[in-house]
Amino acid sequence: MEFLLGYRPLFDVFLLHTGYALGQYIVLRAGVFSVANAGLSSIGAYLAAGLTLKLGVHPYLSLLAGTLAGVVFALLLSWPLARLRGVYQAIATLAFVQVVLSVNVFAEPLTGGAMGLNGIPRVVGTWTLLIAVGATIYLMTAIGATRLGRAFDAVRQDEAVAVSLGVSVTRTQSVAFAISGAVAGLFGGLEAFHGYALEPNQFGFSFLVAILSYVVLGGRRSVIGPVVGTAVLVALPEIARPLAEYRMLVYGALLVAVIAYLPRGIVDTLLDYLRRQHMAARAASTAGRQS
Amino acid sequence: MIVQQLLNGLVVGGVYALFALGFTLVFGIHQILNLAHGAVFMTGAFIALYTVLAGWPLWLGFILAIAGSGLLSVLIEVVAFRKLRQSGEAEFGAIVSSIGVNLIIVTVAQKVSNTLVLRFPFDTFPIVIYEFFGLRVSALQLFMAACAVALVLLLTLYLYRTQFGRQVRAVAGNERAAKLLGINPDLVYFQTFFLSGALAGAAGVLVGLAFNSIHFMMGEPWLLRGFVVIILGGLGSIPGAMLAGLLFGMIQTMTIAYFPSGLTDAIIFSLLFLLLLIRPHGLLGRPEAGAMRGR
Repeated sequence: MEFLLGYRPLFDVFLLHTGYALGQYIVLRAGVFSVANAGLSSIGAYLAAGLTLKLGVHPYLSLLAGTLAGVVFALLLSWPLARLRGVYQAIATLAFVQVVLSVNVFAEPLTGGAMGLNGIPRVVGTWTLLIAVGATIYLMTAIGATRLGRAFDAVRQDEAVAVSLGVSVTRTQSVAFAISGAVAGLFGGLEAFHGYALEPNQFGFSFLVAILSYVVLGGRRSVIGPVVGTAVLVALPEIARPLAEYRMLVYGALLVAVIAYLPRGIVDTLLDYLRRQHMAARAASTAGRQS
Repeated sequence: MIVQQLLNGLVVGGVYALFALGFTLVFGIHQILNLAHGAVFMTGAFIALYTVLAGWPLWLGFILAIAGSGLLSVLIEVVAFRKLRQSGEAEFGAIVSSIGVNLIIVTVAQKVSNTLVLRFPFDTFPIVIYEFFGLRVSALQLFMAACAVALVLLLTLYLYRTQFGRQVRAVAGNERAAKLLGINPDLVYFQTFFLSGALAGAAGVLVGLAFNSIHFMMGEPWLLRGFVVIILGGLGSIPGAMLAGLLFGMIQTMTIAYFPSGLTDAIIFSLLFLLLLIRPHGLLGRPEAGAMRGR
């Protein structure tokens, strides 16, 4: 029990980051190369913390407001982004993240500027995070089994085919954006109420890079992918602790190695392998029966 | 006053152009967004600095920096991208892979420099100020402008006037077709990555000299602004990157001079966002450069 308690902060980080990774996963699944989640999480976190600190709103209502703000900003973004594709979307959303970051530093009376916000009540514990992550995973899995999930896959794989099947690319991607914004905003708010303090650079370029790596390393076609990717990358610096300042070196080398040998990510490659084994076994058994 | 600011902006813009050219070259030819480009830039500044600190002259440091960062960039291609290329998942993969490489280089640089902000020794570059028609130009600024122009000219000559350049452009057009015509793509990758790294390294030395502050994180803001420049010019467009670099240098100097300093990034990145909405392919980009292509 002692052992587990010692790792509880790490587990909390894992849960928070899993939430962020899932928010990123859903847009990628719908074929939108958006990295706006860092900005959306920042908005959610600051709005939630600000409402409670400055106006005395109940933390749970603030969390709701943060989530809604994520949705609103995501929808606002999705409209212009529908004109762009691929890397251009990534760079436009990167610009959005930078704008949020610098406005955040500039608007000192509201956001505390570079110092950030302090003394946020800590109302979110491991259990709340577990419930939030569980609910998000459930939501993502449920979406996967519906018409909407299939529309996401169709749009990602081939837009022309999706359109010919009567799927509106713009609307499907807006829905993905809205869900992603909700998840990003919610987990931003949870982070605010979990860590006592917020500072603007927390949601900067390195945050964006970390979340994207979780999803790509784990695999971006199944819901488990981002969870596994986050687990590996959050645990790694901890496991490599004896290496002290070289541990980021190991982290970097792992990213390079995994992407080189498992370009689809850990989980997707594994699932493909299992599926192929299964098919091969089935083919062998039918062949055996025929002869 | 405003002309002086424009002039200063133009000089900084030349360096932005150098940085962005290498970035856009690799993207335009191989469709790889190399996020380790900022780290290569930083490495260039480090090599020149340590050469000078070891007592060697600056020109040698400059040459070593160009060669060293070019080779580093080639190494990145071999280690991080070569295997990935064959898998057909390069667009996402290359981004994460280069994030990994970036982490490795930055960690090594942090270790080497003990997390310190380093400076070139005083008087590494003679401080001379010339005055033309009431405009003040330092010798360093002239040197920066001359380097930028010379390197850009060399690159253009290489790409458009030599056999190698023709091969590079053939691979950019269609890698499969180029292979069928007997062009070895690995050799082309070697060249583009070397050129890209060398340009970044040169930019790193110039920035190190101009701002006299060299540290292991210096690449990140340049990488972020590099995005703005290459998008502004149109991804993969070489004249676009040059023009956009100059324009960007001037816009940045103007916003720093005439707006609250905290808002510089907000203004620059908002402009980028707006530009993408009006001209999704940048100023000189063409639709087939990839903006509207699906994954």
